[in-house]
Amino acid sequence: MAQTDTLLRYRPWRGTARGPLYASTALARASLKLLFRRRIMWGLFALALLVFFFFFYAQYLVVWITNLLATDSVRFAGIPVTVRGITRFFEPLALNGTAHTFGNFIWYQGYVLVIVLALAGSVLVGNDFSHGSLPFFLSKPIGRWHYILGKCLAIGAVINLLTTFPAILLWVEAGLLYDWKSYYLDNFTLLLGIIGYGLVLTLTLSPLTVATAVLVRRTAPMAMIWMGLFVLLPMLSGSLVESVDDTGWRLFDVWNNLYLCGLSCLNADHAMVRPQPQPPYWQAWLATGAVVGACLLYLRKRIQAVEIVS
Amino acid sequence: MSTANLITLTAVTRNFGAFTALSDITLSLPPGRIGLLGPNGAGKSTLLKILMGLIPPSSGTGRVLDEPLGGDRDTEGNWRLRRLIGFMPEADALVPGLTGVEYVSLAGELYGMPRREATRRAHEVLSYLELEEARYRRVEEYSAGMKQRAKLAQALVHDPPVLLLDEPTSGLDPAGRDAMLRLVKALATDHGKSVLLSTHLLADVEAVCERVVIMAGGKVRGEGTVAELCARRQDRFRVRVQGDLPAFRADLEAAGVKLLGDNGQEEWRVAVPAGWSNLAFFQHAAACGVVIRSLLRDDETLEELFLRTVA
Repeated sequence: MAQTDTLLRYRPWRGTARGPLYASTALARASLKLLFRRRIMWGLFALALLVFFFFFYAQYLVVWITNLLATDSVRFAGIPVTVRGITRFFEPLALNGTAHTFGNFIWYQGYVLVIVLALAGSVLVGNDFSHGSLPFFLSKPIGRWHYILGKCLAIGAVINLLTTFPAILLWVEAGLLYDWKSYYLDNFTLLLGIIGYGLVLTLTLSPLTVATAVLVRRTAPMAMIWMGLFVLLPMLSGSLVESVDDTGWRLFDVWNNLYLCGLSCLNADHAMVRPQPQPPYWQAWLATGAVVGACLLYLRKRIQAVEIVS
Repeated sequence: MSTANLITLTAVTRNFGAFTALSDITLSLPPGRIGLLGPNGAGKSTLLKILMGLIPPSSGTGRVLDEPLGGDRDTEGNWRLRRLIGFMPEADALVPGLTGVEYVSLAGELYGMPRREATRRAHEVLSYLELEEARYRRVEEYSAGMKQRAKLAQALVHDPPVLLLDEPTSGLDPAGRDAMLRLVKALATDHGKSVLLSTHLLADVEAVCERVVIMAGGKVRGEGTVAELCARRQDRFRVRVQGDLPAFRADLEAAGVKLLGDNGQEEWRVAVPAGWSNLAFFQHAAACGVVIRSLLRDDETLEELFLRTVA
């Protein structure tokens, strides 16, 4: 009874307040909580896990078959089976622990990532507009960039959970499949490249997600915009490259630009990038930078105090 | 807390392009319960934004307690200012998907409270506002009254000296409205909070506020205690008489007194001309052979005052 009595009385609080950067991390934590409470998110994460397991076991399988056929001769219906005969289906994926292995993994993971981000954008940012939550955030002692940073941190965490983190696991696995000492030493730059690729994805897709969510707010239009960005634009740019024979058109493909930036982080051979022809790496960096700049300019204009008090 | 004024504004003007939302506002409000009244477009929202440091005034200066207004939006000064204020917006302003305690705790962290303290404080404030049972329910499942209390909880979580409440009773039924107003009043009277209540509902201001600021067309049209403002008009009286009423009425009207109302029980509401002396009532009564049973000054209601001021 005494305890309840105490609770029902208003008690003052005197403490030292922390800075607005701390508020951004709190905002990111709450945003992640909101995302992980959605069942559909867990379904999409499971799908992303399937892509990862495919690469994980395929990489193992390729090494296992190569080792097996190096010592034993295998015949199928009397015909000798070669390593290439079995593993050629995996060749486009370059499952050999090189830069292209990780580049390809992140490329394919992108299909799931795009759907996850469309959903995350509408849940984390679109809802703040449609449910009037923005006054709740912006009336606190934080600036609009702290709000954007908090949202971007949460989205960045999801991006890295789906791409960078599993890519690092694939790198660790590759080391264990080959001579681990020499692999880790010789390919340490690949690890840095994977982290760099993750950084590029985070710095580009987070503001892009927040900006598109601010623009359209709801899940369905958000999904349509992302389909346009990551399905229609690549198709359009691909056909333009073929018909006009100018690689510059490929720069309209945002995901391809990110792929090229990532491969340049991984120091991958440009001639090996598929599909060919591709614009040079520097052009992809420039186009990606332009996308980020446009998103930040749009967010600066859109998230303003005018939203606060209706 | 110092003994400074709650709000001091000197010649504050705010323009949005060619449109002047606030024009030359000069105010000096002591701590306490203050109602901010005005029709739509009066400039209340712009004033709230300036007080919270969300937009700077185009010209003029001001302070909330000891913190000056007018800096750029994203500066340390403005963050200090916003820590002084607990803002309860009119809009839903809830975060769907979070439970009550998570929502209030998040507000605490956004105000800069360490995580553990914010959570503990969220429990305390929700209990104080009688949302203890609903703490672990998602905020979007709350009733209108619970949502309003959750919004008040997030404004209170960091124990600010100033509460800025924008339409706190919006969407509440009479019982909920009454409970909310009692709560707001208790926070001011029992816990020393200063309350700035922005509303269209005059009854809310009458129930809670000691002072009122009436705004219209971007200007302050009236400011003072409710009693003082309502009593400011000296030309209205209630007079109860007995005797030959038609003769007395004709006599008064001939002297320039206007009859505003007759309740049918020998009580009239009248407006007297300038320079009128109360003694004149008795002189006219004696001349007509009627007896004045009571003579009271007829103060305006807040509604009458508001309508007259903004007209």
